[in-house]
Amino acid sequence: MRDPRSSWASPWLSGSIPVLVLAALPALLFVGVLLYFTLWAVVFSFTDLELFGRKATDWSFVGIENYERLFTRRGFLESLWTTLTFTFFSAIVGQSVLGFLLASTLRRYRGSMRGTIEVCLMLGWLLPDIVAAFLWSATTSKTGLVNQVILGPLGVEPVNFLNDYALQVVILANIWKGTAWSYLLYSAALDNVPGEVVEAAKVDGANGWQRTRRVILPIIKPHIGTNMLFITIWTFTYFPLIYAMTGGGPGSQTETLPIFLYQQSFSVGKLGYGSAISVAMLAIVGVMSIFYLRLLKEPK
Amino acid sequence: MADLALKGVRKAFGGLEVIKGVDLDIRDGEFVVFVGPSGCGKSTLLRMIAGLETVTGGEVSIGGKVMNGVPAPRRGISMVFQSYALYPHMSVRENMSFGLQIAGMDKAETTRRVEAAAEILQIGDYLDRAPRALSGGQRQRVAIGRAIVREPEVFLFDEPLSNLDAALRGQTRVEIARLHARLGTTMIYVTHDQTEAMTLADRIVVLRGGRVEQVGTPLELYRAPANDFVAGFIGGHTMNFLSPEQGRALLAGTGGAVPAGAKIIGVRPEHLRLAEPGAPGLTGRIDVVEEFGEFGLYHLTLDEAPEGHREITLKSDAEGLGGEGAQITLTCRPEAIHAFDDKGAALAAGSPAGAGRADRPSEETRHVR
Repeated sequence: MRDPRSSWASPWLSGSIPVLVLAALPALLFVGVLLYFTLWAVVFSFTDLELFGRKATDWSFVGIENYERLFTRRGFLESLWTTLTFTFFSAIVGQSVLGFLLASTLRRYRGSMRGTIEVCLMLGWLLPDIVAAFLWSATTSKTGLVNQVILGPLGVEPVNFLNDYALQVVILANIWKGTAWSYLLYSAALDNVPGEVVEAAKVDGANGWQRTRRVILPIIKPHIGTNMLFITIWTFTYFPLIYAMTGGGPGSQTETLPIFLYQQSFSVGKLGYGSAISVAMLAIVGVMSIFYLRLLKEPK
Repeated sequence: MADLALKGVRKAFGGLEVIKGVDLDIRDGEFVVFVGPSGCGKSTLLRMIAGLETVTGGEVSIGGKVMNGVPAPRRGISMVFQSYALYPHMSVRENMSFGLQIAGMDKAETTRRVEAAAEILQIGDYLDRAPRALSGGQRQRVAIGRAIVREPEVFLFDEPLSNLDAALRGQTRVEIARLHARLGTTMIYVTHDQTEAMTLADRIVVLRGGRVEQVGTPLELYRAPANDFVAGFIGGHTMNFLSPEQGRALLAGTGGAVPAGAKIIGVRPEHLRLAEPGAPGLTGRIDVVEEFGEFGLYHLTLDEAPEGHREITLKSDAEGLGGEGAQITLTCRPEAIHAFDDKGAALAAGSPAGAGRADRPSEETRHVR
């Protein structure tokens, strides 16, 4: 005799229908709100709605014109490429690899050095984006710390890094800002690797690199997947730091999709086109998430 | 195969010294068990032999070569860990081949060795399963298999049975003994369980607080413990410790005497007997009887006993001892007495220590009974 409800309802709720309904209400409301906003974006992506002027009130459906523009007009594909570069180097290579290296190195140490480095990492993470952006701009400007303290004494002409190496500086800034998260997550993951398993590999003759690649990394693979999922989504949609540092410039060198979306929607005022960009971003992030979720799955 | 020597081996973690100078010679092919309570340093000592802990002082040598600075894989050792430490993402076969693969052994030889080990351990059927699909006992075999395929000079076991249930533990114990008989390799085995030590060892090393308390064959340790600690630790049922007066009372009807200078008298539960009716002895009342079938354990409270010496345990298969609440009188043979001085060191008992104790057939026969 199986209660049909038991297949989906949590057992301590399924006993009483009123409790079940009551417990489900906030969740339903939340899902509803989420769907409402997403639908709003999807619907407007098929319109020529604008922020100002006549089309702000008198808009009409234009079919898939906005989506065609994504591929035919300059802007979107370039911005997508910038975003992918930014995400790949700052999140996947920078934060994740650096975070893992720090976590695996520092776990051997106890005490003040580890504490100091952890506090420094956290400071980057906790500092408000706008403050961080200002600090990075000031440090890398023509009269900033890097030029004054490092390049000047070496006899090198002052360089305006934010002008000449904008994307590189923004990537570095985001690595500095976000590594703490990867560090924390990988530290926790490495705590879950049994010490005796690593020692067994040591006795088996595996050197540090072999132990890492063939024993430790496979064991923490689900954690790597989780981390990649988070930091890819965050970095892909990351707005304030870049916007405050460069505003997407110079030119459109650092114009990642969120900035492109913001410019198109609120500077240019094309809300319909902006909606199409956001729906496209949603699709891209969704595809990447599916890829990482497959990593998370335990093998059979 | 190789012999192994420890010379003045010391280990300190920061300022805390956990191994305080251990000297030990282990012969080629010998099965040596390190036994002691938790925190005695037995696992640390094993890990130092394995090369997983650095040596703070002294020398560890295997096969005549000093191994202090040599990394674990080049010491010719294999280790079986308490948690089995199987690689969770690899199949049984991959677990066993991993070390050989790292060493660059060719595929055919690797396969041959893995299959030979699987045959010995009867795990051939699970070679392609993941460790998580195996029971505790099966995992244990895989861990041993992984150690075997490396064909080491010395096997190291770190409490390998402590995660198994009692029935499986007994069975695996016998299998490890068989494995030793079959391979003839030097084995060092760490345990806190004196039964494993007694049943497996050629020689037992009893450790306490980072020092060796005694080294000897199981029977030597059972018959002639060097001090009260070893006496209390070795033996299936914990030795009774009595005051000298109680010892004299126990021996009153036998003509035996408590050695001069004795502060503590030890007597094993299996060596106590019921006194003849009317004969003198140590009297007490039975509180609890634990009936095991082939024998019973009688826990008594002694009459007029000093603090700390109120209770005594008797192991007997005699019938008619009486149930709970019965008043009985105990005695024992003078040779079965262990006497210890105020520092706990063993004194010559009814007969001289050493040779005298080694040939005490009566004890042996009663023990085997």
